Amino acid sequence: MNRNALRTWSANLGLAVLAVALLFGIWNAVILIGNLKPYVLPTPQSAVSQVIDNWHTLQPLTWQTVKETVEGFFIGAIVGFVLAILMSAYKPVQRLIYPVLITSQAVPIVAIAAPLVIIFGFGMLPKLLIVTWIVFFPVAVNVLDGLAHIDADLINLSHVLGATRTREFVHIRLPATLTPLFSGLKIGATYAVTGAVIGEWTASANQGLGTYLLSANSSLNVPAVFGAVMLLTVIGVASFVLVGVAEGLTTPWRRRSTARRRIRLSGDLTSGGGEEPTPLALSSTSGSMKGPQQ
Amino acid sequence: MAEPRLRIDDVSCAFDHGNVIESIDLDVGRGEFVSIVGPSGSGKSTLFNIVSGLIRPTAGRVLLDGQDVTGERGHVGYMLQKDLLLPWRTVVGNIVLGAALRGSVKRADRVRAAELATRYGLGEFLNHYPRALSGGMRQRVAFMRTLALESDLLLLDEPFGALDAQTRLEMQMWLLSVCQDVGATILFITHDVDEAIFLSDRVVVFTGRPGRIAADLPIRTPRPRGLDDLTTPEFIERKREALALLHRHEYTRTEA
Repeated sequence: MNRNALRTWSANLGLAVLAVALLFGIWNAVILIGNLKPYVLPTPQSAVSQVIDNWHTLQPLTWQTVKETVEGFFIGAIVGFVLAILMSAYKPVQRLIYPVLITSQAVPIVAIAAPLVIIFGFGMLPKLLIVTWIVFFPVAVNVLDGLAHIDADLINLSHVLGATRTREFVHIRLPATLTPLFSGLKIGATYAVTGAVIGEWTASANQGLGTYLLSANSSLNVPAVFGAVMLLTVIGVASFVLVGVAEGLTTPWRRRSTARRRIRLSGDLTSGGGEEPTPLALSSTSGSMKGPQQ
Repeated sequence: MAEPRLRIDDVSCAFDHGNVIESIDLDVGRGEFVSIVGPSGSGKSTLFNIVSGLIRPTAGRVLLDGQDVTGERGHVGYMLQKDLLLPWRTVVGNIVLGAALRGSVKRADRVRAAELATRYGLGEFLNHYPRALSGGMRQRVAFMRTLALESDLLLLDEPFGALDAQTRLEMQMWLLSVCQDVGATILFITHDVDEAIFLSDRVVVFTGRPGRIAADLPIRTPRPRGLDDLTTPEFIERKREALALLHRHEYTRTEA
């Protein structure tokens, strides 16, 4: 990371911290102005200290919820991506599956949770299903859209260049799915936590943050409720940020004007960077960026 | 006479709404630069799609060095007004796209691509993504991608149509110097009569739909050509001739 990038990055981080501080400020102001009792709305500080004080209890619960979120997210992402590829490659499959996909999202997820538990029992499976159910949809729709919008002339060009179907897929269609894929993943990442909590509310044999929140709520432990909400929010935001980081790493051409791995002809074509020119470092072709000059 | 590099032999093509081109006979010799001008919808691009093998003609044949290649792909280079560069590939990566799509990209392909790009003014941009390039530079990369195929027959369909007038002239002179260098055989579509005369050995004028060859004008201006050639009496005379042909057919078309 060069100095400029570092500066932008720290400025963004500073703004994010400021945004949270602002939120906490408004929260406190609402309590003051409304003269709200702590058992109705506790201060954010008390919710945070509640989390810190009970961290030994909360830590395994948080881990459990993170696990459900992440596993469900990955399964959902894979299912959504594969469905999109299949639908784009075989139009009859698309006509068959697309209405089913839309119907699946019209079903209220909270309503379907209960029957899922009846079918699959208490345990990890129904929870993963619910998260997957939520995540696969934006991924499938975005990737399918991306594939549908590939320029027909580009496909013609690849035919003129003598491409086989497989190579055309690898070099033209597949890379074109990356940007829409990440749009879908970002939406999925923020919703995945919601899926995990709904799953825990209906189907929890294992304790997670969702179940903790329910029991804190029924015992009127309001700071604990807000503490759990905060933790869940952090999981959601962290998922989004991680997806964003992954996007930045896999689609460097959207931010950078030059590739990290460079091709040079015997050192006389060096430009910038200041590293020792390698005789001929092979440049990256598809976004893989492991290289000596990274 | 030697076998022409490209022979279009009595090619006709019809779509649902009737003939698009009719009985096109056209020979292009090795190393020749031939432009096609004609009104919109006269089937110029259809002819290109036939020569490149993207579509099969309803009748007639396409011969390369006497070999019948009608409907076969992968024999010619092809470039459009849209540069169609892949945003995730660098300049070098885009130039070697043909190799990637046909097999694997070897080190030698990259070296050749980098040398090609360096020789023709893209040396500073080898590792740049297309995003960072201007329209003219992008078209240069697209042309390099076409050259890298090692097919010496190039079909260029209004490659500079989207560029501003100044960049366009710059690109025309660039193209002239590159062609001089590599000795490619070029079939070039344009709407711009000036461009056609400036670049070509022959300008073929198409009629309106269905497209037929109305005239085949030889341009005898010696090469290398420069800016001054754009204003010689001979150039103006050729232009007058071509415009009259284009205009006449526009006119009779509206009459009919």
